[in-house]
Amino acid sequence: MFEYALSFMIFLPILAGISILALPIGNKAARFSGGVVAMIVLLIGIELFLGFQGSGAMEFVENRAWVESLGIRYGLGVDGISLLVLMAGSVLFPMVFCILSIREKGFYGNLLITQGAMIGAICATDLILFYIFWEIMLLPIFFMIGIYGGPNRLPATLKITLYTISGSLLMLAGLVYVGVAHHEQFGFWTFDIIQLSSLELGGGYAVLAFFMMMIAFAIKIPLFPFHTWLPDAYTEAPNATTFVLSAIMAKIGVYGVIRFVVPVFELELARFAVLLSFAGVVGMIYCGLAAIAQKDLKRMLAFSSASHMGIIALGVFCMNTQALTGSLFQIAAHATSTGILFLFIGLMEERLQTREIAELGGIAYRAPIFATFFAIAMLASMGLPGTSGFIGEFLIILGAIKFSGFIGFLAGTSLIIGVCYMLWMFQRVFFEKPKEQTDKFQDLSLTEALTFLPVILLILAMGIFPQPFLKRIEPTVQQHIAAATNTAPNALASTARPRTSTPNYQKN
Amino acid sequence: MNDFLSLLPLIVICTGAILLMLLAAFEKSRLETAAHLSMGIFAVAFLVQLLVGGGPATAAYSDVFNGMLVVSDFTSAAGLIILACGFFTAMTSHSYFKVNLFCSLEFYAVMMFGACGMLLLTLSQELMTSFIALEIMSLAIYILVGYDRANVKGAEAVLKYLMLGAFAGAFFTMGSALIYGGVKSTKFIDIGTYCLSHSATSPLLLGGVFFIIVGLLFKAAAFPFHAWVIDVYDGASTPVTGFMATALKTAIFTVFANLLAQSSGLHGTWVTFLFYVSVFTMFGGNLIAIGQSNLKRMLAASGIVHSGYLLIALVAINTEQFTGSVIAYYLAAYAAGTLGMFAALAYLGGSGERRSTFDDFKGLAKVRPYSAAAITVFLLSMAGIPPTAGFMGKFYIITSAISAGEITLAVLGIVSSILSMWYYLRLVINMYFHDAVENFETDGSCFATAGTFFLAACVFILGVYPIVM
Repeated sequence: MFEYALSFMIFLPILAGISILALPIGNKAARFSGGVVAMIVLLIGIELFLGFQGSGAMEFVENRAWVESLGIRYGLGVDGISLLVLMAGSVLFPMVFCILSIREKGFYGNLLITQGAMIGAICATDLILFYIFWEIMLLPIFFMIGIYGGPNRLPATLKITLYTISGSLLMLAGLVYVGVAHHEQFGFWTFDIIQLSSLELGGGYAVLAFFMMMIAFAIKIPLFPFHTWLPDAYTEAPNATTFVLSAIMAKIGVYGVIRFVVPVFELELARFAVLLSFAGVVGMIYCGLAAIAQKDLKRMLAFSSASHMGIIALGVFCMNTQALTGSLFQIAAHATSTGILFLFIGLMEERLQTREIAELGGIAYRAPIFATFFAIAMLASMGLPGTSGFIGEFLIILGAIKFSGFIGFLAGTSLIIGVCYMLWMFQRVFFEKPKEQTDKFQDLSLTEALTFLPVILLILAMGIFPQPFLKRIEPTVQQHIAAATNTAPNALASTARPRTSTPNYQKN
Repeated sequence: MNDFLSLLPLIVICTGAILLMLLAAFEKSRLETAAHLSMGIFAVAFLVQLLVGGGPATAAYSDVFNGMLVVSDFTSAAGLIILACGFFTAMTSHSYFKVNLFCSLEFYAVMMFGACGMLLLTLSQELMTSFIALEIMSLAIYILVGYDRANVKGAEAVLKYLMLGAFAGAFFTMGSALIYGGVKSTKFIDIGTYCLSHSATSPLLLGGVFFIIVGLLFKAAAFPFHAWVIDVYDGASTPVTGFMATALKTAIFTVFANLLAQSSGLHGTWVTFLFYVSVFTMFGGNLIAIGQSNLKRMLAASGIVHSGYLLIALVAINTEQFTGSVIAYYLAAYAAGTLGMFAALAYLGGSGERRSTFDDFKGLAKVRPYSAAAITVFLLSMAGIPPTAGFMGKFYIITSAISAGEITLAVLGIVSSILSMWYYLRLVINMYFHDAVENFETDGSCFATAGTFFLAACVFILGVYPIVM
């Protein structure tokens, strides 16, 4: 029954999106049909999550020849690494259709194409296929910001487009290098990620290719110092697009590192792990401090999101089971919490026409349900025990301390900074005296509350019962780490070659 | 018999051209008839090429006509591209000449003669045949460029092109003479064998090949012989520009690849030279394109850049197992995108091509969303964004470059395509992110519109099913 499920999840939204753009239908019909498509994708996603075996290998595999002369295949599959990212990509989209009111059909069309391409990028097991979906994903974002964005949308659009496209073309060079290297070592072409993990790379060109791939993903994450597009793009983008950018697209950057860089470039990653984790730590502290200084609520959240992405990326660079599991868990946790925070801010902006923190105040007295939901999402984002954010951050910091006590300590400070700006913002926006504008703030309507409720419950559920999620991730993570560090024999390593030098991350 | 069979597409086009010429003598015949007829002939020739080229009788590098011509899968693919370009150009011209009234019946005949020369050029395997084919093609193109006699820009364009083209032709003959002096033969294959048995750096051979390469680089608009291309493309009428940019380039690069693929000696001697030419072509073209405000001039400059990518493929040629698939695929992808762009410009430009700058296309998406979407597809393909054909083309070229050990060139190619985003995206931004200033009414026939959408579909189909590979 799951035979074509992944293809269906990819191409249903893409085709629906193109039809919405091309057919002469009304804006309301577009929103409705888009919502229905997103719901169908969600249902398939839940079905996949429940049917997932957690064996550590790829499940729901589809694999067909595509461009045979270069060994490019149409390969899809889900394992513990992609499962939660995939869930984030399918769970969060229906909310956008229910909540926010950009009343243009073109917007909904672009949104659906983004969703399909994202799911494609998450499920692809062939590097070229991944790259193709990765690029398709960027185009609708370009149009959504450029057409429907805020007053300074043009420079913001140009910035994000130039950044991301330069990144992806560098990535193209990197992955072609990997394919050619495989052809030279084994005599046949392939871009299949499991086959490629048995590559023996080395030398200057491998380092070059590694950095090309890393820069592409770092731009997307965004990792310090490639984060400068983020505040502008997040601020100018329409709220639904900011939501997509922060909740899912940034995660695919981290996911790409785990999926493609870790197994192929394990030597290079080991060489530069300290450098990269410093980039992660510096980014999270710097962006956290920048968030304190922001006056615009959305901009503050943008910096906070960048800061959290630094933690998630750090988890990957530490390269041990705890940290990597934490990263993958945190990807889902951060997607839900930050995602809905952006949606809340979108709602606030629709009702009050402002995002200036100074003009807000006292919302908690006027809109208790809104304030409660907001508080839960915010606490999750801060990493309070009992919420989804805690598990992930805890595991990452645990792993980071194993990796290096100093880096673990720095990562810990960034959490404290996070608590500072979040609580201070909450106090200014929700308590204090209601201002003239916020005095008539309407609480969530029943539909809105019901839309948010499942995600709020999910945040709590992931915090209180993380086991169903963790047990699906862990087997794959253990194999992945073992294959990359080659400390234990396993399915992946059995196809791998004997190594000359073995980096040992675990004892660092 | 086989020899004639493989020349059948050429014969069809030639006969068609003569028929059209005769038809033009009758006063009653109408321009539309000529357009329809030439479309039909191109279509028939395309089908013939498809049937003949794919047959088992023609193995790779089988010789035809006593080694004067060659028929392989590569030449047949190039022939298909040229014939398809001819077909779409005829289609575009039909709409274009509804609003621009300087056309006469002979236009289509001349265009078909040009296609004859191009087809012959792809097949040629010998320097004299190449020269004759080159001149047949060039003469036809000269006439087409200057077809609008009342247009000063066109007159300037044809003068420039004619003068410089004559130089290029002279270089080519000079090179042939020197090579004949050294090798005692003008066949590519003999030049290749000579290179292997003697030194490829003997003065006669070195000078001769240099002159020939200069002639070909000129026709391909590569650095440093690219300066004419901007004015000539701008001065020619839009369908002609489209034809020149695609079919002509296909013919030139096919014969270029056939020449270089003959021997590793020949290729090895010139690979460094071509390396630098390709780098300068890409970056020079990009710098010119970034500064343009007129679309046709921008496309001309971007054509230079694409020549640079094709030169990368020439650098990376594997002389032992040459199939030409990378070059053929890139040419097909490039042709689909570029022809589509020119077809769209032909019907959106209006009479006298009055809408031709970036600013004129502001807000097109609001008024004509489908045309804007098609143009976006072409631009994305030219920029190399998946899942379009242009991406696959670039991907193959980069892969072949890295396989050949030319990693620097591959990276520079990628940097150049990042730069090219600058001017491709500028048009997209103008079309989508601004309010409409015009309503882009068109009063031509719908042929160009249909061609545009068909080509947009082709861009995707070629991207998803890389047929040629």
